[in-house]
Amino acid sequence: MAVPITVTVNSQTHSGEVEPRTPLVSYLREVLSLTGTHVGCDTSNCGAEITTIEGLAPEGGLHPLQEAFRETHGLQCGFCTPGMILAAWQLLERNENPSDAEIRHSLEGNFCRCTGYDNIVKAVQHAAQNA
Amino acid sequence: MSVLGQSVKRVEDQRFITGKGRYTDDITLPNMTFAAIVRSPHAHANIKGFDTAAAAAADGVVAVFTGADIAESDIGGLPCGWQVDFKSGETMIEPAHPVLASEKVRHVGDPVAIVIAETREAAADAAERVAVDYEVLDAAVNAVDAIKDGAPQVHAEAPNNIPFDWGLGDADAAAAALDGAAHVTTLEFDNQRIIPNAIEPRCAIGDYDDARDHYTLYTSSQNPHVIRLLMTAFVMGLP
Repeated sequence: MAVPITVTVNSQTHSGEVEPRTPLVSYLREVLSLTGTHVGCDTSNCGAEITTIEGLAPEGGLHPLQEAFRETHGLQCGFCTPGMILAAWQLLERNENPSDAEIRHSLEGNFCRCTGYDNIVKAVQHAAQNA
Repeated sequence: MSVLGQSVKRVEDQRFITGKGRYTDDITLPNMTFAAIVRSPHAHANIKGFDTAAAAAADGVVAVFTGADIAESDIGGLPCGWQVDFKSGETMIEPAHPVLASEKVRHVGDPVAIVIAETREAAADAAERVAVDYEVLDAAVNAVDAIKDGAPQVHAEAPNNIPFDWGLGDADAAAAALDGAAHVTTLEFDNQRIIPNAIEPRCAIGDYDDARDHYTLYTSSQNPHVIRLLMTAFVMGLP
């Protein structure tokens, strides 16, 4: 039943065999032990090159987005945070100075139950200004 | 230097912003097994019997337990953590709430059996092989209709499906105020059931250390001490 796959995650290439029904997030969490990506629902979004929260920061340091979330109190329980940071990272890669509306639009796919989103938006603005 | 009046940074953020938080599903214990819960597809039904042979024989399955097993065990039912009495002062009616249902299911999703297996997938596959013989009954699904005579009885102990009739405030003063009011408006409010819903899905790990005869429960909750108290005192009968 298993099929061979090769994926590049955080610049490292991995090969293995998985059952076709295995979600990408399960592969990341259970096979690669990258538990920073969380399961909040059962939708997934695959790409050929995957960067996870563990691959974002320079060695021993923090990415400006990570610093920003701490600075602006952009998290409480932290469960949505890796997803928010990665979604914001993608936004800032293509738009260095997003507006409030652009930030909110690009984060539409990520839910938060704790913060009410305003401090998350501030975190992204903070990162954009301090990149 | 005092922290009063200062904006103080949280101390716990480092692990959350780097993806190194330890949410329950991030934890892997040695020899950890996985559970899949079999739940009733019916809102109201009598359970006539269980057949777990096919599930128990499935790949990777360690054990299968049903409501019948629980009923024969020393495991207690789940207590109601918040007691609310009748306006008369009488104690609320609290029917038994077994961990797994054995005689009757009372809502869609009522748990009736649990499969323990070596992997998530094995547990899920085997759970589909548990057979439960249900005798489907009419259901009471609307609160307004459920308290009328003739509605299906969910619990025999609570006639008209009323476990309590609770009030708050001064009924006489309120009646007097309404009587003397220049104008009275009546509104009917439908309030949906309210349930706390953190974004982390519900998850638990039960770890038994037989060297110490010690149980550890990993779960996400705002009330770990309450859970520990209720589980030990009422469910597991431990000191």
